[in-house]
Parts: sequence; C-alpha cells; structure tokens
Amino acid sequence: MTLPLRLFFLAAALVLLYALPSLAPFFYLFIATQILILGLFAASFNLVFGYTGMLSFGHAAFFGMGAYATAMLLQSLHWPLLACLLVSFAAGLILALVIGFFCVRLDEVYFAMLTLAFGMMVFGVAHQWRSVTNGSDGISGFSVGSLGLGLDFTLGNPAVYYRVVLVIVVLASLALYRICNSSFGLILRAIRQNPERVAFCGLNIRLYRLAAFTIAGGFAGLAGGLMAPFLRIASPELAHWSTSAEPVLMTILGGSGYFLGPFLGAGVFVLLETWITSLTQSWMLFLGIILALMVMFFRRGLLGTVLDALQARRRRRLP
Amino acid sequence: MAGLGLALLNSLDIGLLLFIIAVGLNIIFGVLNVINFAHGALYMLGAYMSFALMAGLGLPFWATLLMAPLVVAGVAILIDRSMLRFVYQREVADSLLLTFALLLILNESVRLIWGTGIHVIDPPVPLRGAIDLPGGLSYPRYSVFVLIVGLCTLLGLWLLFNRTRLGKIMRAAALDREMAQVLCINTRLVITGAFAFGAWLAALGGAVAAPMRAIDPGMGDKIIIESFIVVVIGGLGSFPGALLGAIVLGLIHGLGGRYLPDANLVLPYIGMALVLLFKPHGLMGARKSA
Amino acid sequence: MKASTRSTLLAVAMAAAFAAGSAQAADPIRIGGIYLMSGSAASYGEFAKQGATLAIDEINAQGGVLGRQLSIQIEDSQGKAATAIQVARKMVYQDNVDLMMGLDSSGVAQGLVPVLPELGKPFMITHAATPDVTGKLCNKYTFRLSVNVNQNMMGAADIAAGTGAVKWTTIGPDYAFGHQSWEFFSKYLKEKKPDAVLMEDQLAFPRFGAEDFTPFINSVMESKPDGILISLWGGDLVNFVRQANDRGFFKQGFKVLMSVGAATEVLTALGDQMPADIWLGTRYWYGSWDNPINTKFVEAYKKAWNQPPSYNAEGAYMAVYSFKDAIEKAGAVEPDKIIAALAGLTVPAPTGDLTFRAGDHQALIGPTWGLTGAMNEADKIRSLTQLHNFEGASVTPPVDPECKL
Repeated sequence: MTLPLRLFFLAAALVLLYALPSLAPFFYLFIATQILILGLFAASFNLVFGYTGMLSFGHAAFFGMGAYATAMLLQSLHWPLLACLLVSFAAGLILALVIGFFCVRLDEVYFAMLTLAFGMMVFGVAHQWRSVTNGSDGISGFSVGSLGLGLDFTLGNPAVYYRVVLVIVVLASLALYRICNSSFGLILRAIRQNPERVAFCGLNIRLYRLAAFTIAGGFAGLAGGLMAPFLRIASPELAHWSTSAEPVLMTILGGSGYFLGPFLGAGVFVLLETWITSLTQSWMLFLGIILALMVMFFRRGLLGTVLDALQARRRRRLP
Repeated sequence: MAGLGLALLNSLDIGLLLFIIAVGLNIIFGVLNVINFAHGALYMLGAYMSFALMAGLGLPFWATLLMAPLVVAGVAILIDRSMLRFVYQREVADSLLLTFALLLILNESVRLIWGTGIHVIDPPVPLRGAIDLPGGLSYPRYSVFVLIVGLCTLLGLWLLFNRTRLGKIMRAAALDREMAQVLCINTRLVITGAFAFGAWLAALGGAVAAPMRAIDPGMGDKIIIESFIVVVIGGLGSFPGALLGAIVLGLIHGLGGRYLPDANLVLPYIGMALVLLFKPHGLMGARKSA
Repeated sequence: MKASTRSTLLAVAMAAAFAAGSAQAADPIRIGGIYLMSGSAASYGEFAKQGATLAIDEINAQGGVLGRQLSIQIEDSQGKAATAIQVARKMVYQDNVDLMMGLDSSGVAQGLVPVLPELGKPFMITHAATPDVTGKLCNKYTFRLSVNVNQNMMGAADIAAGTGAVKWTTIGPDYAFGHQSWEFFSKYLKEKKPDAVLMEDQLAFPRFGAEDFTPFINSVMESKPDGILISLWGGDLVNFVRQANDRGFFKQGFKVLMSVGAATEVLTALGDQMPADIWLGTRYWYGSWDNPINTKFVEAYKKAWNQPPSYNAEGAYMAVYSFKDAIEKAGAVEPDKIIAALAGLTVPAPTGDLTFRAGDHQALIGPTWGLTGAMNEADKIRSLTQLHNFEGASVTPPVDPECKL
C-alpha cells in the first residue's frame, strides 16, 4: 500500500474514532476508552518485547505506578489532569530505570522471572503500605477536575473523557512510533535478532536495552495515569502479574512484529472479553484456548498472519 | 525461644512441600527447556483429584495419595502430545506463553467442573490432631507426615538421578538432546516422560497439601509464584538448588510471617531479587550451554 | 416470483410477527446484582443468588410488581472494586437494569459507592459492612439493609464485656473490614468495660485470601490474651479454624468472638470442626427468630435449596422485597421516586420490621450473637445457644455528621 493511501486510511480511522460518541451506543464509549488505554499499555510493552526481544512479566508495575501517581495527586492535591499525567509518565520512567538497571543484565528466562519478581514487589508494597496507598482497598473517591492548559472540559462525562484519552493516546503513540522507527529502534531490532553481532559492532547492548525498558516504562505509566480516572480507583491489582500478562496476551494476539499489532490485540481482547462474558462466566477458558492456538499456529498474531497471507497471495500473482 | 522453634518447624514443612512442587518444575525445565507456567495448575489439579476421589468416590486417603498424581500425570501426557510438542524447538518465550494459556484453560476447567467455592477434605484419622513437643508447643501430626513425604521424595529423587539408568538418561537428554538421540535414546519418550513426571510431582504436592489447605480455584496461582521463586533462588535446572531454594523460601515464610508480618508479602520477592543480583543463575545454578 | 425470494419474504414476515408479539409482553423490572462469585468466598455470592431468586420467584408467582415481572442478573465482582465498577457500568448502560444490589466486600463498596451517583440507579447493599458507605461516602442512591461494622461491634463489645476477659487482641483480614472491626470494637469495649486492655501492638492482620494462618496463630497464642476478636470470614475463616484446631488454639482458654462466624457458608464447610463454646456473630441467624415471616422464609428456602438460609441469602431476599415495597409505594420505577419511597420505609422481614433511616439510608438492624453448642444433626452444622438478637435501634449510633443526605 502506498504511503498516501495508508495515511488516508489512518486519517479516516481517526475521524471515525473521534466521532464515536455520536455513532455508537453509550456503553461502547467505556469499551473504546479501555481499548485505547490498554492499547497504549500493550504498545509500550511491545517496545521491550517485539522490538528489543525481552519478555517482561512485570510491565504492570509501571502501569500501576502511573495509576497510583495520578490517583494520589487527584485525591490530595486536585491537580489538573495533564499535570498528573506528566507525573505518571515520569514516575513510570524512573521506576523502569531502577528496575531495568537490575534486570537488563540477565537474559531470557531469568529476565522474565526477575521482572515478574519486581512487578510483584510493587504489588506487595501497594498492598501492604496502608498508610500511603490505603492497602488492598486502593485509592478511590477522587473526582477528575480540570484538564489543564486552560481547557475547560467536563471530564466526568464519559464522551468527553473518551475524546481526551483518544487525543492523548494518539499523540503518545505517534511519539512511540517515531522512537520505534528511528535508528534507535533499528538497533533494538538488531539486538533482538542477534545480540552478539551488535555487541561486536561496538555498541553497549545493555545500555540500549535499559533505554528501551525505561522508555517503555514511561509510556506504561502514562497509560496507568489515564486508567485511574477511568476506573475511578487505583488498586494494587493494577500492578499484579495477572495485569502484566494482559499486554503480553494482546501483543501476541495482534502481532508483535508490527507497531499497530498491540492496538489491534487490545481491541480484539477487550471486545472478545465483553462479548464472551455476556454469554458465559468462563471467559478465561476461551482466552486460554485462543492464546494457545495463537502461540501454536499463528505465532505472528492476527496482523502478522493476515499480512503474511496477503503477501503470499501477491507473490503468487507475480509471473 | 519456643516461638522461634515453632517458626522453624513451620518453615520446614512449608519448605519441603514447596520442594516437591518446585523440583517438578526443575525437571521439566531441565529436560524440555520449557518453563511450565501451568505447574501450579497441575498442583491444584492434584488437590482437586484428591477431593474428587475422596469425597466423590469415597476412597481412603492413602489410595487417593497414590492415584491422584497418576491421573494428573495422564492428563499431562495428553497435554504434552497435543500442545507442548509444537513449542519444544522454539524459543523459551513461546513455551512460557503456551503454558500460560494452559494455566488459564486448567483454571477455568476446574471452576466449571467443581464450582467456584472452596472444598475441604480432612486428613485420615491417624494423622489428625497435634503432638505435644517439649516447651509447651504443639505441632500438627499432619505436618510431620508432610515432612516425612518430603524427605522420602528427596531421597527417592536423589537415588533416581544418581543411581539409576533412567535418571542418567534424563540427565543426558537435559544436557544435550541431539547427542542423546544419536546414542539411540528415545528422546521423545524421555521428553513426554519428564513432563509427566514433573506433573506427577506437582500433583503429589497438591494431594499432600489438600487436607491442609482449602481447595479452591485460586490455589494454583498462589503456588506458581512460590515455585518460580524457589527455582530461581536455587538455580534453574539444579536439583539440590531446588531443595536449597525451597528451604530458604520456607524460612522466609515461617520466620518472616512470625516476626515481620507486614513485610511478609514482599520478602520473598526481595529475596529472589537479591539472589538474582549476585548469582543470576541461582545459588546453585550452572550456566546452561546454548 | 422466484422460490427463494418467496421464502425470504416469508421468513421476514415471520420474524416481524415474532418481534411484534414479544413487544406485547411487558418489560420486566431488571435487577442487577454484584456479588463474589469466585475465589475463597464464592459461596457467599452463590447463597445470595439463591436468596434473591427465591424472592423473585415468590413475587412473580403473585403477579410481580406493578404488573411487571422481576428479573435478575448476578455478576462477579471478583473482590475488586475496579471490576465491580465496570460491571455496574455495563449493567446500567448496556443491560438497562432498574435497580442494583450486592457487594460482599467492604473494599469493593468503598470503591463503587462514590461512582453510584453517576450511574443514577438505587443500590441496596446486603453484605458489605464498612460504616463509610452510610457515613462519609454516603449518597442518596446507596442503601444498606444489612448490619454494618458499627452495629455488629456494639453487640460484640456487649458480649465481650460479659465474658469478663480483660486483655483483648484481634485477628482480622488486612483491609477496611478487618481494621474497622477492631477500631470500633475497641472503642465500644472501652465504653462498656473501662478496665479492658487492648493489646494494640500484638494485633494480627493476615492478608485476605492468605492460605497459611499458622504464623498468626502462633504469635497470638504466644502473646497470651484473655479474649480474641476474630473478623476473618469466608474461606479464610474455614482455613483458620482448621489450622487453629491443629495447634490447640481453642484449648488455651481464650474467650473467642468470631464477628461473622455464624455464616452457614463457613459452618457447612467446617461441620464439627467448628469448636463448641465459641461466640459467633451474624447478621441473621435462621434459628433465632420466631415469627411467621421467618418461619415461611426458612421453610421455603430449605425446600428450594436443601440447606438453611445464610445471612447473605436472607439479605438478598430482603433486598428484593424492599425494592418491591418501595416501588409499590412510589407507584413507579423511576430512581428518584424509588429513593424517596425507600428512605424512612419500614419493611416486614424475617428479623422483624426493617426500617431504613432517612438520614443515612442505613437499616436499623442489630446482629445476632450466639454460643456454639452441640451439632444440629438435621442441618449438619453447629447449633447456636444463648442467642442474643440485638435490637437495631439500640446498637445503631446516630447518623454520621459527615453524611449529609
């Protein structure tokens, strides 16, 4: 597909998304907001997994950190939302820097387990430190006041909040996209494919891994900051390993080899969950079966499989 | 002093139970190069099988202790043949993901079959109650039983790996699969066997734990994290490491729970992180050749 | 015309006829319930569902409410406030429920109640006990018919003062419910028994859902209290009692009060492992009320579900009946009218008359406490002796000044 055509489709999609409140039933606004936030969360994870080749099972630590940061600021200081989100981004960034420093020294399995450990440590702290985080009951009962920058929106209105989230997620994704497709991103992909060769070229792969991990943590924190006002509560579960598993699932579903893969995965995941839970309580069973099938037969995810099929057909058509 | 003694005894039985479960994880990783995320679910399945056999069919405890792990081993063989064989040759991340999917499937299946509530089974009559120890302490009889089972398993496994041909074959397949194949060892059988054996151990842990804990669909999730911590502290693929890791974690739970209850949730992870920082491959782990 | 076109037209016509036909039947009044349907306390949600279903079947058999049938859908909160909020949004915006009820967890309640004004439907809390939801978090949409921590602890303090034990400690789950139980118990105990000693630095708060209570059991035994308030519930209480039995906890001569121990969910799971001579509290005990409504209710429940009703079941049952009475009084199914009718309303219940105080929407109801006695072979659980039904008005503190409805 040529570039102008791709841009046209993207623009059309964005217009449609912006107009969603007038097009879809009210309840779908909540679904759409959730998809956008989780899509950003999954895309930040994919920077570490799909691009740099590290499987992290503790990514929710940064998500949870961002959520708590925004929730606490809204509850006690009533800051405008944009200021809170900036703090959430920074909090995720710093936490990722600290955790990443210890983790990127290790490979593969050990990396996964150490990130799992640190993620659960953040969960444990959030759960136990009642005096600061209110323990397992979480931080709730805050209201979302102003947006900041002098813009006056009633953020309590789900349609308004949805559009705000849409704009922020699109901007953040654009930034993430630029990072992923820069020379930095190319080096990350090289590190995923063959770390020894990259090391032989004289690059400090540990530093690059740490940089990727840190940036990913920042964007995950931003996603968490958007999630707290949406959920109306920041609770320790947001940092639990079962939350860390969500971006993993979404990325595998959508396809880890493409930038938009995680977003597609997030959409499919949330829609499937909403649809299946209305039919049965055993949503997790279907999720497990779908994930198993994807890993066994469609490892490149939905996007990957579809694009591969299209490419194969194009190749067959050529003489 | 009495408190310390009791805390240490608690650590021991927690630790040995974790050992039984974690060593299965180690065996599966060692021979298959698969991190079995569903290991906790297999433990849970063992406990539920125990419940089903005892409460449903009315079998005595000793019979269920024998049969429940065998049933789960059978399920494991099915899983291996139908799912895991697709990911053996792939990178470890894929096996992690597939076994995670398996975890979801097993968790939900248990919920569907046995409901979402908790079930309880009682220990057999000779193992109920407590024995009185010097110093005014009392220690449950069943915990002594757990200790005995743990020590027997330890001894049995040691003998298996170091003194039998089967053990040597498993170690060979773990170290170098191609070479083992060249030597006419039926690696496919070894692989399936190892997975079944690891599952058997996890289910044994579940059957042993069932009278002590409430049987509920969340029990697998709790134990998998614990097993990971044990295996990481001890060293992935190391048998004595699994014992060391289990004892360490047992001590953290027993002593930490007693003296530092507020930090008890976080302590195991701090322990794990500390070990990984200074000995990334565990206290007794060796660097695996590529 | 072609055969295929004809059959298509026929199909469309039939579909239209069906649609028109079903539109004739009156729209049911929808109730949405949010309970714990999974995890270690899943039986609580299950029993609540049973109680609510019994009420709905009874009411529908008698013609429904204002000529419309009642229907209910119950979903799982999973013990998480975030999940409960999502479920509530879905029930209001997608499933169009008219009324809501539920909540097994005080933590979930603390998260969900502030969101209720946005959803705009009346919510009847039938289990969660934190005083906050009819205190500082109160809003006009939230009602509670069940005993809250305040009321239960007043009763508990009374019983505790009566036992004569001096040094008191607690073992409770580490969230709002556990901490607030101790907070109010210690306050009321000091009022009733000024010489009571509160062992503030030897309290035990295991995590909700913890499997292993032995460290806490050991540390409490070592600190040698005279009396212990246990606010564990659900699977935790079952686990705790079994592990405590093994360690001779109940043979140490402590006076043990289990604030919500008389839950049939727990008693059925424990059977004869629940020791005798323990004080158990509950929001409702099927064997302690001698009136026609209770007799009828217990009989109908036992017939339908083969077991005596738990307090959660009775709560859910009464929630449906309370809504029915409020709708009939209001004459309409509009939230504001129902709320106006419900505030201050008195509803006949198995526990006597249930009145919803207008100032904070809390029902004036007291706990029931009893001492465990011999096994009740028919119902297969411990019986309760020395039953005290505390009177609602006497154990309910005045409206919290922070609640301005």
